[in-house]
Amino acid sequence: MRGRPLLHTSYEADQALLNTTAKRVMLGVFFLIVISIPFQIIPGLKFLGEDDWLRLLSTTAVFAIGALGLNILTGLAGQVSLGHSFFMGIGAYTAVWLGGAVGGPLIGLGLPIWVWLPAAGIVAALIGVAVGPTAVRVRGLYLAIVTLGLVFIGEYFFRNWNSLTGGSQVGRDFPRLQVRLWKEEVPIFDFTTPANWFGVEVSGVAKTFLLLAVFALVFTLLAKNLQRTRVGRAFMAIRDRDIAAEIMGVNEFAHKLLAFGISSFYAGIAGALLASFVTRVIPERWDLFLSVQFIAIILIGGAGTVTGAVLGSAFVVLLPRIVQNFTLWLQSVATEGDGILSSIANVFVATTPEDFGLVNTFAGVGPGLSVAQLNLVLYGLLIIGFLIFEPLGLYGIWLRIRNYWKGWPFTY
Amino acid sequence: MRRKSKWLALLLVLGLVLAACGDGGAETTTTAGEEPTTTAGGGEEPTTTAGEEPMEIATDVGVDLEAGTITIGLLSDLSGPFAPLVSVINTGHEIYWADVNANGGINDLQVNLEVRDTGYVVDTHVQLYEELKSQVVAFGHSTGSPQTVAINPSLQADGILAIPLTWYSGWSDPAINANLVPHGTPYCIEAMNLIEYLTLQAPDATTIAIASSPGDYGEDSNAGAVLAAEALGLEVVYDGTARINPADEATLAEVASGIAGSGAELVWVTTSPTAFGSVYGQTLAAGFQALWSGAGPTWNPALVGPDSPIKDALARDFYVSAYYAPWAADSVGNQFVRDLVAEYAPDAPPLDYYAEGVIEAKIMHQALLAAYDAGDMTQAGVLAAAKSLESVTFDGLAPDETYVGEPNDRVQRAVFISRPDPEGLAGGTSTGVSQVESNYTSPLAAGFEFNETCFQLG
Repeated sequence: MRGRPLLHTSYEADQALLNTTAKRVMLGVFFLIVISIPFQIIPGLKFLGEDDWLRLLSTTAVFAIGALGLNILTGLAGQVSLGHSFFMGIGAYTAVWLGGAVGGPLIGLGLPIWVWLPAAGIVAALIGVAVGPTAVRVRGLYLAIVTLGLVFIGEYFFRNWNSLTGGSQVGRDFPRLQVRLWKEEVPIFDFTTPANWFGVEVSGVAKTFLLLAVFALVFTLLAKNLQRTRVGRAFMAIRDRDIAAEIMGVNEFAHKLLAFGISSFYAGIAGALLASFVTRVIPERWDLFLSVQFIAIILIGGAGTVTGAVLGSAFVVLLPRIVQNFTLWLQSVATEGDGILSSIANVFVATTPEDFGLVNTFAGVGPGLSVAQLNLVLYGLLIIGFLIFEPLGLYGIWLRIRNYWKGWPFTY
Repeated sequence: MRRKSKWLALLLVLGLVLAACGDGGAETTTTAGEEPTTTAGGGEEPTTTAGEEPMEIATDVGVDLEAGTITIGLLSDLSGPFAPLVSVINTGHEIYWADVNANGGINDLQVNLEVRDTGYVVDTHVQLYEELKSQVVAFGHSTGSPQTVAINPSLQADGILAIPLTWYSGWSDPAINANLVPHGTPYCIEAMNLIEYLTLQAPDATTIAIASSPGDYGEDSNAGAVLAAEALGLEVVYDGTARINPADEATLAEVASGIAGSGAELVWVTTSPTAFGSVYGQTLAAGFQALWSGAGPTWNPALVGPDSPIKDALARDFYVSAYYAPWAADSVGNQFVRDLVAEYAPDAPPLDYYAEGVIEAKIMHQALLAAYDAGDMTQAGVLAAAKSLESVTFDGLAPDETYVGEPNDRVQRAVFISRPDPEGLAGGTSTGVSQVESNYTSPLAAGFEFNETCFQLG
C-alpha cells in the first residue's frame, strides 16, 4: 500500500511498534544524531558534545528511564504515585550493596555491573509488588498519600542505615559503570575513562553518555511495546474506568500490582544508573522533590505517552541550564551594551545590590531571586500552563505540528 | 483525561508545598552594599617591578593574557541550607577581588569570578563543576563535604585546584587532599581546643554530654570530642552523636532531654544554629545548666538578637568558636576587612562571615601570584603553586597557613574563642560576640598527632 501509510491491511501492521515508515525513519535518524553528539559532527549541535552538556544529556537519559516507569504506572494504568523516588533509592542501594567496594567500612560485595544493575530493578520491582496490595486498594488522592508515606519511610531508613547508605549528609561512593566478568581488578570495559576508538579520542563522559543513551533507547522501546500488548491495553482500560475493565475480564488487582512492579523496576534501574553516574549520593537525594520532578516530567511531556516521557525529561533536566545561560546572557547585555535591548535586560537582572531586577547575577547578597528560585517559579508556571492549555504536554504540541504539516498547505 | 489532570495538578501543588517547607529557613536576611563589578577597570597601576623582562607565561584554561583576565570559579550554596552564610562569604570574595583589580590586578591581569549556585545538592555540584572546569583556572571555594568529595576524583583527573569551604579533617589528610588547600582548624581539633578550654573554665567538671548532626560536620567534630574527653578524664554521660536532625523537631526534643537528664557539667554540640537554639532552650526549660560550646557553624549572632529569649542565658553559658577573628577584633587583618566593606560594600551590615571570603580569596591570590612568578598559569600550574605555598598570612584575621611539610606539621590547630555579646549586638558595637582568645591552641590540640582524617567519609 505504498503512498497510503495509514491504510493498514492486517492487524499486525496496525499494531506494529512503529506503524509508519516515517516513524521508523525518524527514530533511526534521531538515534543516529544522538549517537553522533559526542563526536561533534553535526554543525550547530557541536556544543552538545562538550563534557558538561554530555553530562546533562546523560542525566536526561537516566531521568527518561525513570519517567517511562512512572508513565507506565500513572500515565497508562492511571495510578498516581508520589513514591517514585523511594523505588529509585531502593534500586540505588541494592546496586551499592551488590556492587559496592569490598573491605571498606560499608556494606559492599564488589559484584560486577551485570549482577547489580538487573538486581537493582528486580529488588525494586519486588518491593513494589510487596507494597502493592496496600496501595492498589485505594484510589486517587488516597493512593497518592500512601505512596507519599513510602517516600518518608524510605528516607528514614536511608538516613539511618549508616552501614549501607553511608549515613545522612555523608553518603557513599557507588559502583562505577564498568564491565567486569567477576571481581577482577581491571575492568574489561570502562565507561568512565577516556579511550581511543579507531583513532578517535572519546572522553569518559562521552562513553557514559553513549551507554546511557542505548539504555534509554532499549527501555523506551520496551515501554512503547508494552502499550500495544494485552497487558498494556488492560492498564489503559483500568485507567479509563476500572469497573468497566473488570466487567471485560481484566483482573484489576493483578494488573495494578503488575503496573506497580514494572514501574518500580524502571525506577530501580534509573536510581542505580543515576547513583552510579553521579558517583556519590547522600540519602537525602531520594526525597519528595525528586518524585515531584518525575510527576512534572510526565505532565509537561504528556501523560500516557512514551514520547512525552522522553521529551519531558529533556525539558526538566535542561531547563535550569537554559535559564542559567539566559540570565548570564541578559547580564552581559545589561552591563555591556546600551540602547533598548540593554534597558529591557536591566529590568530582568540585578547586576549590583542596588540595581532593581527580578534575578540576582552578582556574587553577594541581594533582594532579587536566585537563578535556582527562578527555576522553581518557572516550573510551577509551566506545569499550570500545560495543564490548562495543553493537557497532552509537549507531545500534544508535537502532534499539532505534525498534523499541520500533514495537511499542508491545506488546514484540514 | 481531564479529570485525572485536575487530580494531578492538585497533588503536584501539594507536593511542591511539602517540598518547599524544608527550605523555609534558606531566605537571606542581609543585604550587601554597592559593589563595582570585578570586570570593570583597567590595570592603571601596574605593580610589576621595573626592568623585569616580560617572560613567557604558560596558560590553558581561565587565564587570558590578551584580554588580561583570570577567571576563578565559585561553587556556592546560594539556595540551600547554607545560603545565608555563603552569600555573605561571596560578598567577601567580591570586595577582595574588586580591591585587587582596582590596584592593578595580578600583574595587570584582572580577576573575574564565575559563581554557580549548587543548592547544596551533590548532583548539581558535580554538574556545575563540569561546566566551570573548562572556564576557570581554579575553584575559589567548593561548598560542602559530600559535594567536595564527589568532585575530588575529577579534580585529580583534571589537575585543578579547589579550596574546600568546609572544615572536615579529611582535607588535611594527604590521602584525600592532593588537589585541595584547606584552611582553618578541622572540626575534630576544634573540639579538642574548646573542650579543654571549657575544663579550664570549670576545673572541677568531670562529665560531658556531646551531641551533633549527622555527616562529616557533626561526626568529625564528635570524634574529636570523644578523644578530648578521654584525654582529659571526662566521662561522656550522654552521647547524641549524629542524633540531631535539624528538620525534625522530635530529634531535637530527644537530644535536649538526653542532655538535661545526663546532668553533665560540660556540653559540646555541633549542629545548625536553629537546631542548637532549640536544644539549648529546651534544656534551659528543664532547669539544666552547664558550660556549652560547639563547632563554629553552630553559632549565629541571631541567637543573641534583641528578641531572643535565650540571649542572657547564652551569654552566661556559651563559648563561641570560630576559624577566624570576629568582625570587631583588633588586628590588621580585621581592619583590612572593615576597610574593604566600607569601600566596596558601604551599605552592607557588619558580619563575621566576610572574613571567610577574604581568607579564601587571599589563599587564591597567593597561589596565582606564585604561579605567575613560576611562569605557569595553567590549571596544573596554579595547583602546583598553591601546594608549594610555605606561608599564607592573614595579618591576625586568621592563623597563618602552610601547605608544605608533613600533615602533622601543617594541619591548623588554632581557633578564636569569643563570648556571646547581646548588649554589643543591640548597641551596634559588635556582631554579637566579644573575643576572649585569639589564635588559641590548647595543650591537647597542640599535642595531637594528626596523620589521617578523624572521621572516614565512606
